[in-house]
Amino acid sequence: MTDQTFAARTRKVRLANGMTLLLLENPANPTVSMSGYLWAGSWYAPSDNEALSTLTASMLNKGTRKRTKLEIAESLESRGARLGISANTFTVSLSALSLTRDMPLIISTLAEELREPVFPADELEKLKQRIIASIREDQDETRVRAYERMTQLVFPAGNPFYCHPAETVIEQVEKTGVEDLRQFYETHYGPESVVLTFVGDHVPDELITLVDQSFGDWRGPAPREVNLDETPLAPRSTRDHIQMKDKANCDIVIGHASRLRRTNPDYLAAIIANRALGQSTLSSRLGLKVRDEMGLTYGINSSFSESGIGDGPFTIGVTVSPDNIDLAIDTTLGIVDEYISGGISEEELRDEQSSFSGSYKIGLATNSGMASQIVNSELYGFGVGYIDELPAQIAALDKAAIDDAIRKYFHPEVATIVIAGTFDDNR
Amino acid sequence: MNQSFQKITEYEGITEYRLLSNDLKVLLVPRRAAPVVAFMVVYRVGSRNEAVGHTGSTHLLEHMLFKGTPTYNKQNGTQIASVLQRQGAVFNADTWFDRTRYYEMLPSDQLDLAVHLEADRMRNSYIADEDRQSEMTVVRNELERGENDPSRILDERLWAFAFREHPYHHPTIGWRADVEGVPTSRLKEFYDTYYHPNNATAIVVGDFDDDAALELIEKYFGPIPRSAHEIPPMYTVEPAQEGEIRFVLRRAGQLGIVEMGWHIPEATHPDSAALAVLDHALSAGVTARLYQALVETQLAVGATAQAYQFIDPGLFTIDATLHPGIEHQQVEKTILETIEALKTEEIGESELQKAKNLILTQMIFLRDSPFGVISVLGEAEAISDWKIFVDWPKMIESVTAADVKRVVNTYFTEDNRTVGYFIPRNSEE
Repeated sequence: MTDQTFAARTRKVRLANGMTLLLLENPANPTVSMSGYLWAGSWYAPSDNEALSTLTASMLNKGTRKRTKLEIAESLESRGARLGISANTFTVSLSALSLTRDMPLIISTLAEELREPVFPADELEKLKQRIIASIREDQDETRVRAYERMTQLVFPAGNPFYCHPAETVIEQVEKTGVEDLRQFYETHYGPESVVLTFVGDHVPDELITLVDQSFGDWRGPAPREVNLDETPLAPRSTRDHIQMKDKANCDIVIGHASRLRRTNPDYLAAIIANRALGQSTLSSRLGLKVRDEMGLTYGINSSFSESGIGDGPFTIGVTVSPDNIDLAIDTTLGIVDEYISGGISEEELRDEQSSFSGSYKIGLATNSGMASQIVNSELYGFGVGYIDELPAQIAALDKAAIDDAIRKYFHPEVATIVIAGTFDDNR
Repeated sequence: MNQSFQKITEYEGITEYRLLSNDLKVLLVPRRAAPVVAFMVVYRVGSRNEAVGHTGSTHLLEHMLFKGTPTYNKQNGTQIASVLQRQGAVFNADTWFDRTRYYEMLPSDQLDLAVHLEADRMRNSYIADEDRQSEMTVVRNELERGENDPSRILDERLWAFAFREHPYHHPTIGWRADVEGVPTSRLKEFYDTYYHPNNATAIVVGDFDDDAALELIEKYFGPIPRSAHEIPPMYTVEPAQEGEIRFVLRRAGQLGIVEMGWHIPEATHPDSAALAVLDHALSAGVTARLYQALVETQLAVGATAQAYQFIDPGLFTIDATLHPGIEHQQVEKTILETIEALKTEEIGESELQKAKNLILTQMIFLRDSPFGVISVLGEAEAISDWKIFVDWPKMIESVTAADVKRVVNTYFTEDNRTVGYFIPRNSEE
């Protein structure tokens, strides 16, 4: 263990072509965890084909100028190494986990997939069919159906947090061809956009050389900055029901526009406010009442999980037997109302600050946990020093700051409530 | 050396002790990479120890152990979950066929709290009737969430058909009527029968000093007496399956599923390593045989194989979620052809080595976190002894292509097979 700060231990390098590397040595285990991103998520796709971003990212390992999909998979799987590329709302995530000895393989394979994809037509067809089947499968889940409908009622079509109806996404996937992928790739994939973090048992100089050898002569488009209008609160509360068959459990999603992004000055206050309200099913206000005392649910949580680059929804999710739908909704909204009028208690604030401090240490105890924090500090432009400063910022928050955040960010009076499951038609 | 303990053995960085006063088994695994520590108590009781009328009791009892003791309770502001949450702990408990485990991962200066809390609830839990009533409905909602998922229900049915007499027949969460009807007195009886130091293993992994950890364990677990009775053995044996069993599950859903299961031996059987290599060769990654035979050919959306390792003989299962428009029979036939090919021809050296490497690297990856290490040690203790985890890489290394061919021929027979189809009805009204 070391007492050195993350800022002192992490080395940041920018290659001549604009790629950013962040490296942290941790010799505890002979493995290296890689985490990173580039700016090519679904926000960058045309509004009539948001699936383009996912299809492009998912096709990168389906064949390159040098090797087929099977040859690439064989080389990684035979060493037990893992490499993943997947599209999100704004970024494409890059991740890897391997033994230290296999880092050259990880880096050369990542370079091949990012720089030389060929998008084979037969592989695209197979991928499209698999994605369509999995969309259909997801439509059988009450949680998915309730969340999707909530976003359709809270966000305007075209907003990155608006989930298109399944049939629309299927149509988008079906019409996408190899040329669409190639064009999206050529417009959005380039080295200036790429950030890679390596944490584990490695020698930074050797890794930098390896990355430079594989990526140094890569050229491509510069990233386009995300420009997204804030979604306002709805004028009034709405409810919707999705009747499904043979579901013993109902999912209820209560959501509204959060107007909260990671870079908001009061982001940390909002996060602490939410922790006391509903982050833990077992110990937050909502869980203590709705689960522990009333026994209505196995799980109830509230979250700003999509508050990052953009302002996604604030949501409360709860699962119940169909008989308990109204009681669960009324009780939940009552708890939120009470929280808004009374604010956080001094005891809750102390507990949540202490809890944050402990869980932060635990999160930073693994290579993947450290890599994830370093990536986020870069993603939001805070710098690695932020990882060292965050606990003090949390400890400095007072009740007034949390209560301001509660009043600003929790708005049950205009929430959209969606219930999905099998219930009485007369509801 | 703390005189309250007998040092049993030290092997590959893990030290085993026995607490002399009550036979609690203790494992210490110091890893000082980060200032965190994980603590786990594994009880050798699971749904394997239940029978009709009280299926699901082990799991319901596990929930009840969060409801409080005279020391930790909601009334005095020390509710178990709140006290742990206050420290930022990652904590929970879960129940499976062979075991129930309670665990915390927290900052290393909080080990005292975890050890105290687990020792306290080992014998001092309230298990009050009013708590059972509210917690029963929580568990019932957990059961209902599971029932929403066709693949989970199909799997539950597969085990119920494949096991007629042995308690692996019923799911750990229990049958609904048993969960609703079991009296509090039965849960208390379960608690008094199985929750004793001589039926448990306490494990510490992470940033701690051995002497200090032993002192804490002695301080809090030491005063708890050994059980006055012997822990009752579970003696039901599943007889050999004499002929293929087939069943169909029809309910609302989107995609069909085929699941098959074959009886395999207990975890400590010498064939377990070869069966683990087989499940990786069949389903781990894009190059695996079932992926190539089913997903690549667009017969299925996904396919998995799993060699379950339990105290008693379990199942090797294969399941595949069908591509829309594909018949169940076609997928079943392809799975069986994939298996038959392995009966006649040995897998190649590179394929064998690939399956082994996937298992061996996974074991190294999990050492990144104290929780990864404590989880596998806990599972090993549940089914037998922690040393099977430490020796697992050597056992995997020693598997030959001939071993894989032999286990396929031994266990993958028609008479030993159970086959289930999930046939979806349209879920829209």
